Amino acid sequence: MQLWSANILSTLGIYLVSMVRKRSLLLVDDESSILQTLRLVFENEGYAVITADSCAQALEILANGHKFDAVVTDLNMEKEDIGLEVARAALRLKPKPAVVICTGFASVTNSRAALDLGVDYMAHKPVELQGLIAALNRLLARRDRGVRA
Amino acid sequence: MSAKVQSPGPTPKMALVVHSDLSVISNFQSALSEKGYVTIVARDLPTALLAVTQHYFEIAIVSSRLEEGGDGWPLAGVLHLVFPRAFVAVISPTEPDVLTLQSAINYGVREVYQQSMPSPEIVGAILAQVETAPATRPSRKPRVQ
Repeated sequence: MQLWSANILSTLGIYLVSMVRKRSLLLVDDESSILQTLRLVFENEGYAVITADSCAQALEILANGHKFDAVVTDLNMEKEDIGLEVARAALRLKPKPAVVICTGFASVTNSRAALDLGVDYMAHKPVELQGLIAALNRLLARRDRGVRA
Repeated sequence: MSAKVQSPGPTPKMALVVHSDLSVISNFQSALSEKGYVTIVARDLPTALLAVTQHYFEIAIVSSRLEEGGDGWPLAGVLHLVFPRAFVAVISPTEPDVLTLQSAINYGVREVYQQSMPSPEIVGAILAQVETAPATRPSRKPRVQ
């Protein structure tokens, strides 16, 4: 009975913390229309969003000590598959954010690289927004419970 | 009255193998047994789910095809959710294509192996990765009598 109560309190605690603190999200895409649309969508979902319109800018933000709960990046920007560099840099952060790659140009090579890196989710463009939001919320809920997203 | 703390002793490392082919199951079972794993086997989804409720697994090896093509993937996803630190691998009958690799990422599967690869090699590859990033298991508290 005591264990049951402790579990309820712990779950409630996590829920309250997530309600008080906005989750931080880095969005990376070189297409400004996509970047702005995703920004509006995720801000509407309660995320604090920072955007980067290139891999270089994203790497600079990540190197400057910003902490993110999640990073959603395009794959092809300055160069083909360069979004993997953003994912690699994000996955080195501690605590590790949930990392999502969105692409319209998935191949065996870049999908294999994403799997080997430990990317948490890969979404196809055009992105199905509800699916992406649900996946991100699920990954972050697990991260809040102290489990690798 | 004084409490006596009893050490629970070493817990066996557990692996789950889910495949419809008995010979494949048997090969994995002996390869894992050689490496010190106690293997629970299942040939279908209900048996696999029952095993999930009864054991803690460090390794799970699931066929992508149990009764129908692709039906092993959701099970792999469930295993990743229930045992987030376990190494969940999927055995695919064909060489992994884009969709297979993306399914692996999205279901939290750590690696996809082709069924043609010998079981001891698959087990060796899995253990090499598990040893690099050791899976942790919930701590077992000493019993107080």
